[in-house]
Amino acid sequence: MERRSRRIFHPAVVLAPALALTLAACGGDSEGAGTDSGAATVDGIELIAEGTLTTCTHLPYEPFQFREGDEVVGFDVDLVDLVAEDLGVEQAIIDTPFDTIQSGADLDTGKCDVAAAAMTITPERDENIDFSDPYFDANQALMVPADSDVAGLDDLSGLRVAVQASTTGKDYAEENIADAELVTYEDSGLLTAAVQTGEVDAAINDNGILYDFAANNDDVVVVTEFPTGDQYGLGVQSDNDVLRERINEVLAAAQEDGRYDAIYEKWFGTVPGDSEDADSDDAEGDDAGADETDEESEVESTETSEN
Amino acid sequence: MSKRQRARLFRGVQYLILIAALVALALAADWGQIQRAFFNMEVAANLFPSVITVALGNTIFYSVLGFGLGLGLGLVLALMRLSSVGPYRWIAGIYIEFFRGLPAMLVFLAVGVGIPYAFDTRLDRNVQVMVALGLVGAAYIAETIRAGIQAVPKGQIEAARSLGMSPARTMITVIIPQAFRIILPPLTNELILLTKDSSLAFFLGSTLAQQELAQFGREALNTNQSMTPVLVVGLCYLIITIPLSFVSRGLEKRFGKGVARKPVKPGATRSGGQ
Repeated sequence: MERRSRRIFHPAVVLAPALALTLAACGGDSEGAGTDSGAATVDGIELIAEGTLTTCTHLPYEPFQFREGDEVVGFDVDLVDLVAEDLGVEQAIIDTPFDTIQSGADLDTGKCDVAAAAMTITPERDENIDFSDPYFDANQALMVPADSDVAGLDDLSGLRVAVQASTTGKDYAEENIADAELVTYEDSGLLTAAVQTGEVDAAINDNGILYDFAANNDDVVVVTEFPTGDQYGLGVQSDNDVLRERINEVLAAAQEDGRYDAIYEKWFGTVPGDSEDADSDDAEGDDAGADETDEESEVESTETSEN
Repeated sequence: MSKRQRARLFRGVQYLILIAALVALALAADWGQIQRAFFNMEVAANLFPSVITVALGNTIFYSVLGFGLGLGLGLVLALMRLSSVGPYRWIAGIYIEFFRGLPAMLVFLAVGVGIPYAFDTRLDRNVQVMVALGLVGAAYIAETIRAGIQAVPKGQIEAARSLGMSPARTMITVIIPQAFRIILPPLTNELILLTKDSSLAFFLGSTLAQQELAQFGREALNTNQSMTPVLVVGLCYLIITIPLSFVSRGLEKRFGKGVARKPVKPGATRSGGQ
């Protein structure tokens, strides 16, 4: 053993530098790519890849971003396209776990320029990401099997409720339903499937996606909404004010000239505005912390949203 | 009843129980639901051709990248582990324990998030996949190779050395080729494991064109609200792994003859024996 070991030592010496070289070559390549892409600047905005506005998202989140053929389409996609158009570049979309989007890791590590993932603006996320102005009002909604007796938060005690990992719906459920068993799912699809198969008794997630799912599946219904005043924002890396301001300009211009409404109608079938005032009033009431008023306003907002 | 009859009866009862269990299982299952959920032909048809051209292709590509690096690095680590120089042994030992002990997912996150934070540089995505898979694979492959090298009869080294070969040449031309024949089955195992681990490339982010099988299937599951894509990508994994097993078994048969058990040139290898 001893003696053989000594003999074996030599090839190791031969091979180790070869490997070091290989690794160095890999590192060198990518560093080169890194400096190349660092040079891609449009109007003072640094982009990670030349001629491209790279967007991080988590697929699918219909109708905000989902696959259609070989393309990613959706409400968020169209909005970011407006920004890309304004910069005179093309949008490229990268699918990545939602955790690394909302923690800011994807933006910090230069995986993408913008995060557009139907992402609610929260104080925690705001610490790691800089958000654009809000571009969408969302509420949390409760989806149950069609034959369920559950009508609101009060009926959930002792039941199993599905939530999606790293979402505001999960936070809301944790804060507001004390005695239900929360089951966390990685994807919205797994969450909705869990309701269908009876794995859970209900699911809480953003209203946009649950309404969309319930509209396509007769065996589930959205029974109520919780007006949490959630608002979606586009994320950029902390302190990337040039890009953030440019996005805000584009969003404001689009809302001004009707392009935003057109995109909204394309994906939701309605024009924003009709129900928006009522919703934001509810939201403020909720922010004040009066949980009882939730129950009353739920009925209202359910009606407006379904119209 | 004779012993033979009893054995036959016993076997018959076993078959009956087996059949009864299968029938019970088949009766208990909700076939309509299963068909709707898993065999939705419309959904399945929509997955083609990209499930093959993109997803399957990428899975193979990533696996080959990872296995390539893993094999190279694993060989170096194995030799380091067997080295008489202490620090080499320690480095290899620590490396192997570290990467063999961590879930591959953490390694992917470390490569995707850790490297850019630590060195302020972003590797090309294919390089990231290769590095992450290679780091994990190398730890296992190193142990496999070490075991293989140690399994080559000592007489082989002695014979080669007595023919005047240098230690390095002995290792490269005599020991390692024989070791590879011995470790072919566990190595195939490792390649199959890496093929499945390539699904973790998801943590590095991907465009639609970069999706591998598992991510493709998961996304399609979410989009279509059907389990059918999971079944389809499952079959695609088997398309890779089952032929791999056959190839490996074939190679084993061909090479196996050369190893110690039955020397190619009888007498030649035995002369250096104990």
